Amino acid sequence: MNFELNEEQQMIQDMVKEFAACNVAPIAAEIDREHRFPAELLPKMAELNLLGVPYPEEFGGADADYVSYVIVLEELARVCASTSVIVSAHTSLGTWPIFEFGTQAQKDKYLNDLTTGKKLAAFALTEPGAGTDAAAGKTTAVLDGDEYVLNGSKIFITNGGFADVYIVTAMTDTTVGTRGISAFIVEKDAPGFSVGEREHKMGIKASSTTPLYFSDCRIPKDALLGKEGKGFKIAMQTLDGGRIGIAAQALGIAQGALDASIKYAKERVQFGKPIAAQQAIQWMIADMATEIDAARFLVYRAAWNKDNGLSYGKEAAMAKLYAAETASRVAGKAIQIHGGYGYTESYPVERAYRDAKITELYEGTSEVQRMVIAGNCLR
Amino acid sequence: MKVVACYKWVLDEADLTIDSKSRALLTDRAKNKISEYDRNAIECGVNLVEEAGGEVIALTAGTADAKKSLKDALSRGPVQGVFVKDELMAQADASVTAKVLAAAVRQIEAVDLVICGEGSSDGYSQQVGIRLAQHLGIPVITFVNKVSVENGILRAERKLEEGIEVVEVALPAVLTVLPDINKPRIPSLKQILGASKKPVKEISVADLGLEPAAAEPRVQRTELLGTVMNRKHIRFEGETADLVAQVLEVLNKEGLC
Repeated sequence: MNFELNEEQQMIQDMVKEFAACNVAPIAAEIDREHRFPAELLPKMAELNLLGVPYPEEFGGADADYVSYVIVLEELARVCASTSVIVSAHTSLGTWPIFEFGTQAQKDKYLNDLTTGKKLAAFALTEPGAGTDAAAGKTTAVLDGDEYVLNGSKIFITNGGFADVYIVTAMTDTTVGTRGISAFIVEKDAPGFSVGEREHKMGIKASSTTPLYFSDCRIPKDALLGKEGKGFKIAMQTLDGGRIGIAAQALGIAQGALDASIKYAKERVQFGKPIAAQQAIQWMIADMATEIDAARFLVYRAAWNKDNGLSYGKEAAMAKLYAAETASRVAGKAIQIHGGYGYTESYPVERAYRDAKITELYEGTSEVQRMVIAGNCLR
Repeated sequence: MKVVACYKWVLDEADLTIDSKSRALLTDRAKNKISEYDRNAIECGVNLVEEAGGEVIALTAGTADAKKSLKDALSRGPVQGVFVKDELMAQADASVTAKVLAAAVRQIEAVDLVICGEGSSDGYSQQVGIRLAQHLGIPVITFVNKVSVENGILRAERKLEEGIEVVEVALPAVLTVLPDINKPRIPSLKQILGASKKPVKEISVADLGLEPAAAEPRVQRTELLGTVMNRKHIRFEGETADLVAQVLEVLNKEGLC
């Protein structure tokens, strides 16, 4: 069993680290403070093929493996969790359903533009009354001649307002529970479609999170993704993969917080010596490093399973559960190590702390992950 | 135009630490990388052929460990790599390196331009490029921070202490480039993954027709220690205006302002 990254994966890690250091880190605090979506990063990431990492070259992707994709997301999140989730939501949630379930015509129409960054994607499942209970959505889609007419709303949609393409779930049959949910590709200029005000969030402030409104929104009949009634399955499978991305984001947040803590502990002198010489600090660092490594191997394992055609639902849930809770714990300890300075915006750890929490919530809360894992273990 | 970009696989200086007692350089945690200025050399070559047509060949000489550098180099634009792999290179100084690289360039044949970094980021002897040109019997232009090629004539700007010197030379020639000549590209994912498909020729010093004696270094490093910076520990006391005057006086004496 080889626990090391291969040569290409190592090079990819170095490349994204360099890109993140030169282009993302210098603006990370500013875009967080200003709640600004970093649109200027998209063409730069597209040029480096970071917006279509795991997709085949025939669709404009980089044809890299999922472990490489996870590495990309982690290295971005190390300096900016918002940038990481922009890529993750676009790649795993918005693009993947078209790649996996789209017709050839849909793939031809959308994939190349998405993987090359000409267009941005988003995924819209959550509704005001349907979060963890994803099947309780009320948005409807009624077939009217050659069009579907959508009515309803979505909430907390990542990349909302900046995406060109949205994967939207809606009920085509309200009488059969989850078997009545279908998935659709909705373009941003579809008549009757609008985007609401951006949420003001605790963290990942540069990531745009918005409601979406469908008011007799008309989309072509061939915007149906897969078959009618398969939308819930599409959504759940999409989230399985998306979980690996969020796990990677959490991992990056944690690693960034640890890196900052180690640097600070070596520099901060109290009682005549660096605080790194104090056992209390050493033990905190040791615990943080160990938990992060454990999280890392769970994340890599889930990605490896996906790369090798093995089932990965349980593994992705484990990775996301553990990495997310690790990120919150590690970020909290990072502030502790920084002391009062860690509570100020002058140091990056307070942002890590605020950013970490969302990883326990979106793309399935930690409770949902526990349900998935238990369901797997107990069948 | 056929361009050879030479590079060296060096210890990453960011990973190096110094033992505070013995002043010894601690390298056990240091990773390797392509020398910074050699990245500029590769980028320079790739930019030139993108403009004027041709190809870049990446050339390096080192021990077996340097094999790890090849994909990195190839991800930056060269179409193939040539690796002189030999344990003799472990002790190589600038004279040996230049001899070996020159032999490799001759074997590549019909090379129009050889580009090196001004110096390597470890030793920075600034000798290899010049020695290499001497062995090949072609002109060398050093301290280059701007270059273009047209109709077989290379035009370069050399950044010297006194100012900028503009020179022209008919190819073939050797260039040594400064770090401000360009900003090396960050290779894309596709370039990284495509690097493993590019051909690499692996040869030994013997394959170049060189005897082991030719790889005997003329300079031997006996010791490598960290420098000690002695603090002056000058204390200033007094009111603010007086303090400023004292500090300025000391700085003036040191020739710092």
